[in-house]
Amino acid sequence: MVMLLSFLEIRNLSFSYNQKRMVLKHVDLAVERGEWIAVLGHNGSGKSTLAKTIVGLLRPAEGTITVDGITLSDETAYDVRRKVGIVFQNPDNQFVGVTVKDDIAFGMENLSVPKEEMLQKIAFYAEKVGMADYLDKEPSALSGGQKQRIAIAGILAMKTDMIIFDEATSMLDPTSRRELMDYIKTLHQEGLTILMITHDIEEALMADRLVVLKDGAVFADDTAEHLFQRPEAFREAYLELPSALRIYYELEAAGDMTPPLATTLWRFGSGK
Amino acid sequence: MAIRFRQVSYAYPGYGLGNYDAIKDITLDIAAKGEFIALVGQTGSGKSTLAQHMNALIFPTEGTVEIFGKTVGPKRDRNIKYNELRRQVGLVFQFPEYQLFEETVEKDIMFGPMNFGVPEEEARTMAWNALGLVGLGPTYLKRNPLNLSGGEKKRVSIAGILAMDPQILVLDEPTSGLDPRGKATMMDLFRSIREKTGKTIVVITHDMDLVYEYMDRVLVLDKGTLAFDGTPDELFHMPRLDRLHLDYPATIRVLSAVAKDLGIAIDVYQKDVASAVSAIQKAVRP
Repeated sequence: MVMLLSFLEIRNLSFSYNQKRMVLKHVDLAVERGEWIAVLGHNGSGKSTLAKTIVGLLRPAEGTITVDGITLSDETAYDVRRKVGIVFQNPDNQFVGVTVKDDIAFGMENLSVPKEEMLQKIAFYAEKVGMADYLDKEPSALSGGQKQRIAIAGILAMKTDMIIFDEATSMLDPTSRRELMDYIKTLHQEGLTILMITHDIEEALMADRLVVLKDGAVFADDTAEHLFQRPEAFREAYLELPSALRIYYELEAAGDMTPPLATTLWRFGSGK
Repeated sequence: MAIRFRQVSYAYPGYGLGNYDAIKDITLDIAAKGEFIALVGQTGSGKSTLAQHMNALIFPTEGTVEIFGKTVGPKRDRNIKYNELRRQVGLVFQFPEYQLFEETVEKDIMFGPMNFGVPEEEARTMAWNALGLVGLGPTYLKRNPLNLSGGEKKRVSIAGILAMDPQILVLDEPTSGLDPRGKATMMDLFRSIREKTGKTIVVITHDMDLVYEYMDRVLVLDKGTLAFDGTPDELFHMPRLDRLHLDYPATIRVLSAVAKDLGIAIDVYQKDVASAVSAIQKAVRP
């Protein structure tokens, strides 16, 4: 039997830290190659646990994860990490080297890339993320946005097909955040598959599809356009609509909506 | 005034004054009672450095910081009890939840007061009161802090500082990593602490929506200098905030788009969704 698999296939995934409370409950999720998915959910909904499970940092209690045809297990975790990289929330937690150069090299060293090739790649990817002038600097002297770009360069150098961003912009100021989002957009246009975990609804709007987790289960999986037509679903998942759409629904409830108002608020709120 | 900065500059050892997170020539006053202050600015603009001067955790390279009558300059002064200043101005670090280490919430909150020499039973009473102030019930006292949610851990660590009964509370990005509901709950908590105790609260944040809705004074740092000191209304009336690497709050952005698209006059300076809705109604109803 021939099965057509998506790039990332998650089937019936459950996880628990202590056997008592399930953090992930029977999660099914498919991400196509080149797709950009945003994962939203309240604090404690299981978003970060999902990310760590996909890259094999946590072992599921039940279910399967398949990446590009490889089913994740202790034996294949190494191969899966060559296909999926992860950028964490706090850039300070992912720095190990004395210089920026060492940090970009770290992942490649683990993959035993020859030295000559590694130096070329460091220069190439530092240039790509706009950090070529900082190669000999100490990571501690960089801003949060710059640190995140170095973390991305290290992952790009490993040529993964997919990157998971686990609230990677939440510690950045608005300018660095916008720069990083623009850069992620470029990577996506070049074909990178993206799974982005975020609390920021405006950021989530840049994705092709939104997956909403609630109490460890998939509560909704749809486009923003469709989800925004169900404001009650957002409330039930303990999330908040963009301000423009909250204004939209309140005006509608009060009977004060006009077609031009609706057009502007909807366009603004859905980022279209 | 409880805290007076006079021409304060600070450079990290080995780096120059113009470098990352340095501050330059800062002069400002903070009152002991009733202020709710936002400290904003780009990453690396010196916000955390400025905050750490407020309780003499670091000393200025140049200038002086007067804290409750004690003048802190570049050199350590043997006549000043720095620990006492750090009790009077409580500083909650970013990610305080990483600093929880006792086996129960009660012990964790009691740690601070006992460290300052408060007897055990008195420290226990202080812990109980502080836990109530952050909106957690007595059932939390015997729980293991490591098994709490992110938002709960943040509250427990704030209670640990409150238990020392500081006159001023300074918090470094207390809402980062929280979902929208968690953020609102945290800000409501600060508002209620201020109302109940009259303490001045200083919050470092990147979130302009929260600044506009909750705070009554904003300090903007830009490359280590104080670029603005005034009310949120004054700040958001200024053009080109992008030059300070700041955004306008969502209400102002949405209402400006509506006014422009519909060609109508709207008072765009609304602090929350409910008042934004009223402003539109006022503009469109006959």
